[in-house]
Amino acid sequence: MSVIDEDEALIAAVLAGSPQAWEKLVKRYESRVFNQGVRLMGSRSDAMDLLQEVFLGVYRNLHRFRGDAKFSSWLFRIAHNKAIDLNRRKRLLAGISVNAEWEADPLASFSADRQQEPDMSLMNSELNQRIVEKLSQLPLAQRLVVELKVFQSMTFEEIADVQDISENTAKTRFYAALKKLKQTMEEEHVLP
Amino acid sequence: MSCPKTTHLLQEYFSDSLSMHARKEFEKHLFQCEECRVELDNLKLTRRELLAWQDQRVPHWDRGLEIFKREHDVASKSTGLFSGWQWAPTVASFAMLCLLLLDTSVSVNDSGFEIYFGGSSERAGIDQSLAVFEAQQTEEIESLIRRFESRQASNNMQLLQAIMERTQQSTAESLDGIYVYFEEQRLQDLQDMHLGYQQLADSDYATLRSLQELAQYVSFRDVER
Repeated sequence: MSVIDEDEALIAAVLAGSPQAWEKLVKRYESRVFNQGVRLMGSRSDAMDLLQEVFLGVYRNLHRFRGDAKFSSWLFRIAHNKAIDLNRRKRLLAGISVNAEWEADPLASFSADRQQEPDMSLMNSELNQRIVEKLSQLPLAQRLVVELKVFQSMTFEEIADVQDISENTAKTRFYAALKKLKQTMEEEHVLP
Repeated sequence: MSCPKTTHLLQEYFSDSLSMHARKEFEKHLFQCEECRVELDNLKLTRRELLAWQDQRVPHWDRGLEIFKREHDVASKSTGLFSGWQWAPTVASFAMLCLLLLDTSVSVNDSGFEIYFGGSSERAGIDQSLAVFEAQQTEEIESLIRRFESRQASNNMQLLQAIMERTQQSTAESLDGIYVYFEEQRLQDLQDMHLGYQQLADSDYATLRSLQELAQYVSFRDVER
């Protein structure tokens, strides 16, 4: 049975009221969603919030899933939207303009958030910490494209679908993000 | 960046929908354009560094099971009062109460099992068992007493023999002592008696002399007259 078939079987069981099927379905994707949350939000606690919101969203909307797309794509669309919502709420609480973060360089505000977050110390490797630091210097829109393309191995077509943007915009954002990351790495090598 | 194709080509490079023809054209350009080649290598390196991410373990959480179960339990309750298992504890409690009130007992034997109500037959059975048990206990106690008695008697005999042996030795020693003592006493008594006789003889002699002197005196006075 393929992953897609297994997902569909589990979804059918969940809709029939099986808690075991629900737990199995969550277990299949929780690690991917959580790690995505750490990379996008910059901390484990925010990633945990995102994880819970995503699966609550999945649970509430599972009956609307028609199976015309992959469940993983549908799930990551929800995760994408929840990440934007969570990020917006965080920024509103911190008194920072949402549009400014979305379009422009979020470095200052994100770094400030991160410094206040003791949970960052729980990152399980220095390598992960460096990756999060680099990603945190990207605007959320670019960060999301990098996440979907690099870590979730989506095509630009799928990314465009998830983000409701054109494929070309997705490609442009991805290229811009990689260039920015490369520049950051070069600066890091010059000033370690 | 002087090559005008770099941006466009690199944007397309990571596209999965790049046609075979476009990819060949792209590789041909890379072979000729060092700038694009270096830029692509850098981007690939950047992507590789990102892919070095080590997955973090998800902290423990209930996976939304509480909500799931709660909401599905609510849904099942709506189908009727007797549709769920919510009455099971009450029924079990009532059954236990009935068993206690009726003093119900179940007896398992070779021919199967029997259910008793009221407990009289059970009491008879218990009495019988108790009698058997008591007889067994009495027999065991008597056996123990007998064994204890025989062992005690044996011990007593040994003890008595030991005492007698010791007593015989001491009695013999005592008799010797007594014999010596009696002998000494006898000799001393003989000496005393001898002395006594001597004194008595001396006393008698003195008396005789007094009598003789008195007789001489009397005879002398008669003569004088």
